[in-house]
Amino acid sequence: MKYRLTQEGLNYLNNGLPELNLVKLLEKKKEVEIKEVKKEIENFDIALMWAKKNGWVKIEKNKLILLKKPESYELQEILKRFAEGGEIEEKYLEILLKRKLIEKVDLKVEELRKKFRGKTLTEIQPEILKYGIWKEIKFQKYDVNVPSKKITYGKIHFWNEFVREIKEKLIALGFEEVRGPLVELNFWNCDTLFMPSDHPARSIHDIFELKFPCEGKILDKKLWERVKKTHLNGWKTESKGWAEWNFELAKKLILRSHTTSVSSRVLSRLNRFPYKMFTIDRVFRPDVIDAKHFIEFHQLEGIVVDKNLNFKHLLGYLKLFAKMILETEKVKFKPAYFPFTEPSVEGLIHHPKFGWIEVFGAGIFRPEVTLPLGIKKEYKVLAWGIGITRLAMVKYKINDIREIFGCNLEFVKRVW
Amino acid sequence: MPLLIFDKAHLIQLVGKKLSDEQIEEIINKTKTNVERIDEKEIEVEITGERIDLFSIEGFARMLRQFLGLERGLPRYKVRKSNLKIKVEKVEARPFAACAIVKNVKLDNKFIKSLIQVQEILHSNLGKDRKKVAIGLHDFDKIFPPITYTEISPNAKLVPLGMETELMLVEILEKHEKGIKYGKLVKSFKKWPVFLDKKGIFSFPPIINSERTKITKKTKNIFIDVTGLNEDLVDYTLNLLVSIFAERKANVESVELIFENRRKILPNFKPEKFSLNKKEVFDLLGIKLKDREIKELFEKVGFEAKVLGNKISVMVPFYRKDILHRVDLIEELAIAYGYENFEPEVPEIATIGSFEKIEKISDKVREVLASLGLIEVMRPVLTNFSNQFDKMNLERIKCVELKNPVSENYTCLRTWLLPSLLEVLSRNKHIEYPQNLFEVGDVVLIDETKETKTLTHRKVAGLVCHSKASFAEIKAIVEVLLNALKVVYKFKNFEHKSFIEGRCGLIIGNGKEVGIFGEIHPKVLENWEIEMPVAAFEINLEDLLC
Repeated sequence: MKYRLTQEGLNYLNNGLPELNLVKLLEKKKEVEIKEVKKEIENFDIALMWAKKNGWVKIEKNKLILLKKPESYELQEILKRFAEGGEIEEKYLEILLKRKLIEKVDLKVEELRKKFRGKTLTEIQPEILKYGIWKEIKFQKYDVNVPSKKITYGKIHFWNEFVREIKEKLIALGFEEVRGPLVELNFWNCDTLFMPSDHPARSIHDIFELKFPCEGKILDKKLWERVKKTHLNGWKTESKGWAEWNFELAKKLILRSHTTSVSSRVLSRLNRFPYKMFTIDRVFRPDVIDAKHFIEFHQLEGIVVDKNLNFKHLLGYLKLFAKMILETEKVKFKPAYFPFTEPSVEGLIHHPKFGWIEVFGAGIFRPEVTLPLGIKKEYKVLAWGIGITRLAMVKYKINDIREIFGCNLEFVKRVW
Repeated sequence: MPLLIFDKAHLIQLVGKKLSDEQIEEIINKTKTNVERIDEKEIEVEITGERIDLFSIEGFARMLRQFLGLERGLPRYKVRKSNLKIKVEKVEARPFAACAIVKNVKLDNKFIKSLIQVQEILHSNLGKDRKKVAIGLHDFDKIFPPITYTEISPNAKLVPLGMETELMLVEILEKHEKGIKYGKLVKSFKKWPVFLDKKGIFSFPPIINSERTKITKKTKNIFIDVTGLNEDLVDYTLNLLVSIFAERKANVESVELIFENRRKILPNFKPEKFSLNKKEVFDLLGIKLKDREIKELFEKVGFEAKVLGNKISVMVPFYRKDILHRVDLIEELAIAYGYENFEPEVPEIATIGSFEKIEKISDKVREVLASLGLIEVMRPVLTNFSNQFDKMNLERIKCVELKNPVSENYTCLRTWLLPSLLEVLSRNKHIEYPQNLFEVGDVVLIDETKETKTLTHRKVAGLVCHSKASFAEIKAIVEVLLNALKVVYKFKNFEHKSFIEGRCGLIIGNGKEVGIFGEIHPKVLENWEIEMPVAAFEINLEDLLC
């Protein structure tokens, strides 16, 4: 093992150990105020500690008193001998090490030091940091505009980031998030929403029917009866009804074609008022697949249930959503038709590039929808939907809807 | 929704007032109709399916006239009584018939073109491809009463429209374009519906008319027949068609239909009366209106209203079949008032918002896996049996299967997510590795005990794919994820045909079997043409919830 003097050791070798210097000072003055000595002795605390330990001094009332003056000081001799390369006994080595006057010399480090000293480096190796070699070297300067290399990283799909942001805003507005099944009974998807059995949107061209399983179960017979009567003759809703209802069709299982099925399910079991909810989820339509159409896409839909709600409130919510979610104040409204709402409205927002784009479909649920589902007459249900797939495509500049669900990994990695 | 093309000059002529494109568009934008295109000659509009009265250029012009205030209140069409009686016998295939005569019709090219369009749209939309309703127009001067609607043997003969020789009805079904297309509507019956006069069959609804009674530019007087399965719909269609001619100042003559035990005179233009009270109107719209305003607004959208105290009685014209409930009329009032004139207002409703539980967990899973360097992809729930089972080295099991798929790639719903991820790998072999992926998404499982016979479950699947992808790596990822979700878990050796034997583990989370992990079997990789090792996992998040 090799040792060498530390900076401190070198200092004491040249200027004397501090405890020795202290004694020398006291020799002249016998009694000195601690305050004064402190000023004159370098490393006073170390000096005092060792002088006391050696029995040379004592402290009385803030004064230092010399007890005896050592004839010679062994440690100073040893330090000198060490510096001259003389043999040192083990126990003194330990003292010197303990007082950090000497340190072990790592041959490897010495070698590294020699290797790097004065050099200009590109890579910073851990050893350079560990052994303080960085102090003796220069770093290569870089051009910040050199192209970076590819890096692997993880990320959340942009769609989910997009949806998450919208959800947080709706939740902040007091809306409860709800989820419904992807496989639905026609009953929930259409009949409870007062869509007539022969409505064009119920055709095989607009709804995916199932080969297996084909039919669902009837859980609430009374509800089915109310819905049936509403279709046939209006039941207690004071509507004329459709004069027909297809029970076999209502029982059929389908892939839900809109998230309004979730709203009808929620209304059927609602027992808290007032109430606000939303859902963002997938729906399915047997469209021809192209850049603008895919058989799966997302809808955002919600309802507000309370007494004394009116059409102005519906428009108020749409305007609020436009501001909060779509970040625009440019909204206009237009009459629209949905089988389940009356009045119905379509909302358009202004996009700097695309002009007026249709984003909202909304309305107040018809009595033929709410009454059979068990919502009392005095409650109104505002229902609204936002075409978020289109919004996302505009926001993320996506030209082909198929990319959203696609296999294109480069696309998925690129879109933030 | 039906798209209709109207001749612009023709429309303006029927409106009776010169209108610029901008003016037309402005009015239409205040209604439910959408303008798709206006050019020099034509205007293309999208009409919502319930406004059958707007399917004709005459009806559309009437709506514009009313909106512009050029016409007030309900149209009063004159009907003269004719002496024509038509016997309606029992016809099993199409039990209901309705007829009327319009005289002194001035047919020109434009009118004929628009008549064809309205018939086509009524046939497809209201008639459900002639099944529920079929229309026939004939030159009345070529018909020789008495007229009977009856059923007849398929061997009876007729010269069908566009042909020169007589064919048996059964031959028409084989040879005539319309017969081939609509034959299925009568085929299953022993006898088929026809209209007869002295000279024989002149109409074979819902298939074809006779060449003898066909309409030409010279036709002055027209006989209209409508047949179908639903009496209301049949009568409605007849009334609507006749009103088109009435709008063009033709003379409408009524016909008496004689059924086995009753009689009926058609057309019938009788309006229907609805009663509203002011409070329900004001409550639903959030505005207050003066009596005079209520009356004027209703007139603007084609109704007649009287206000007496708190009561509003509204006369609804026969052609507004879409008015089922008072709310429909309240909406009409709102449209007349103008949606742009409502002051939007956000009510104060104190409710507490919240995330759906499973969505919250899903977001957590996304954060953890993304932080571990995995890329999230999003795949369709729709897939096919080959991807779900065959390529995964599994036996096919029962899963949700479509009756009407639009592509062979999408015929069933996925029961697990890993195939969706492997598909991504198989399509990205040209891109740099590692390709470490995950998806948090829904699958649908069969459960006969449930209302929908299915369960929609949220799952997460992840995989690592690079030259050193291993069991150890995926296991470490699974453990970090389970720890992050605070799941108490243990693993058990497991066998699964998609994984290498002896390199697959079952995940027991919170005491339940919640997932699997391991190295994907080379056979599976071969099936997907993936040439890089893959280690993967899949966990059912729904099972971790409760």
